[in-house]
Amino acid sequence: MIIDVNAFIGKWPYWPIRASSASDVITALREWGIDRAVICSTRSLFVNFEDGNREVEAARVAHSAELEAFACLAPAKELDFGAYQQRGFRGVRIYPQYHSYHPLYVSFVDALCEDAAARGWPVMLPHRSIMNWSVPRLDLDWMIALVERHPTVNWILAGINYLHEYQMAEMLLSRYPTVSVETSCIMGFDAVARLVRDFGASRLLFGSGAPLQNGAAGVSKIVHAGITDTEREAIFEGNARRLLNLR
Amino acid sequence: MIVDAHVHIGKSMRLQIDVDGETLVRIADQVGIDRICCTDLTALFYDMREGNRLLFEEMKRFPDRIIGYATIPSTRFGQAILDELERCRNDYGMRGLKMYSTPDCSIAEPATIPILEKCAELGMPVLAHTTPWECEQLLPLVPECKFMIGHSGGQPWAKGDWGRTIMSAERLPNLYLELASSTTDADFLEAAVARLGAQRVIFGTDTPLLDPYSQLAKVCDAPISKADKDLILGGNILRLMGLAK
Repeated sequence: MIIDVNAFIGKWPYWPIRASSASDVITALREWGIDRAVICSTRSLFVNFEDGNREVEAARVAHSAELEAFACLAPAKELDFGAYQQRGFRGVRIYPQYHSYHPLYVSFVDALCEDAAARGWPVMLPHRSIMNWSVPRLDLDWMIALVERHPTVNWILAGINYLHEYQMAEMLLSRYPTVSVETSCIMGFDAVARLVRDFGASRLLFGSGAPLQNGAAGVSKIVHAGITDTEREAIFEGNARRLLNLR
Repeated sequence: MIVDAHVHIGKSMRLQIDVDGETLVRIADQVGIDRICCTDLTALFYDMREGNRLLFEEMKRFPDRIIGYATIPSTRFGQAILDELERCRNDYGMRGLKMYSTPDCSIAEPATIPILEKCAELGMPVLAHTTPWECEQLLPLVPECKFMIGHSGGQPWAKGDWGRTIMSAERLPNLYLELASSTTDADFLEAAVARLGAQRVIFGTDTPLLDPYSQLAKVCDAPISKADKDLILGGNILRLMGLAK
């Protein structure tokens, strides 16, 4: 089984895409060999985070065999983090670059991280939403500072590509056992195998960025990585089950 | 036959690469790629004569596998570049030119024109790490030059803007799209084939910078015909280089 921890539903404002509804996204995922996905709505990035969360929640209920949900959160009055967990969300994504706040300056992030650490809730921290040079990126130094400020959070670094980004991920993986990395934007030669060699397969989670990114390309780099089948299974499935507490 | 139109050979600390022909051929074997079109990093970032000569040595070691691009580090060497192109084509048997553009040292300048004219004269297609905006400046001036935009705009200085690249190619019949990129946006290839035709799209991996399996999967997975895939995966680059049988 392949579980994708970084997929989307919703519209994409930059160019036409093949799938935006939950059912169409599931069809696309199936074509790419992805069985189950943890989704977030692009509406949460571009319009209103809670409206997007409601879409994701409805999609998860309607397609419980295929979809799991992360809540996309942003600063707001009286956020009840526990309520999101009760609604079935498996973790949180934050996108400060889309929501015009500085993650080190607003109290919301500290409150979220303290709560997430206490609940064992993973927090996905995307450097970018997908690997395209036109989309906004989160400053690497801010990402480092966040992890250092909240080292007990189960962080999932997302949207990591190459050079400085990759080196940052390596540094945080080496210093903080609570840090994992998802693979949607890791495109470098031998990059997946190198992370497995240096940090162990338990620190990597398969992510595709689908349907915005080509899921087949995402799957292919794990299938052909120079790692053992046991390590591959961990990246494709086992680590996500453990970290997200999936049955 | 699968031909990778975008492969780097040699050394570059900047790109963290140190790779010879034997390693690249071994990688190609693993991935299932028959021939690789290589550009030397010393020629690209330091000295064209030294780098192109190094590549020629690797071509001699693997004559059935490595196709050479003549490579230049900038457009600012005047007649020496034209002489180097002659040498690379006639003495080394190289089949194309690789060049690199940055915002600080753009190829969109008059010095590039005679280089493109010489490539057209020698039947050498050009692979350039460049932007659609630069293509729009240059290509109308040299319509006889076959010009491949490396990464199809999927690189930082082109902002990943493959949509603009397709638009440019619709207006520039001598512009071809080379696919290697960190960007794997799901619907790009289909859009390119639908609007330009598969004969304008060329497979490349950017090995050993990028994971070649992902790059290959982008094409193999695309909802396009087998005939179109065959063109993209090898037919087009062989045709442009005059190597099609």
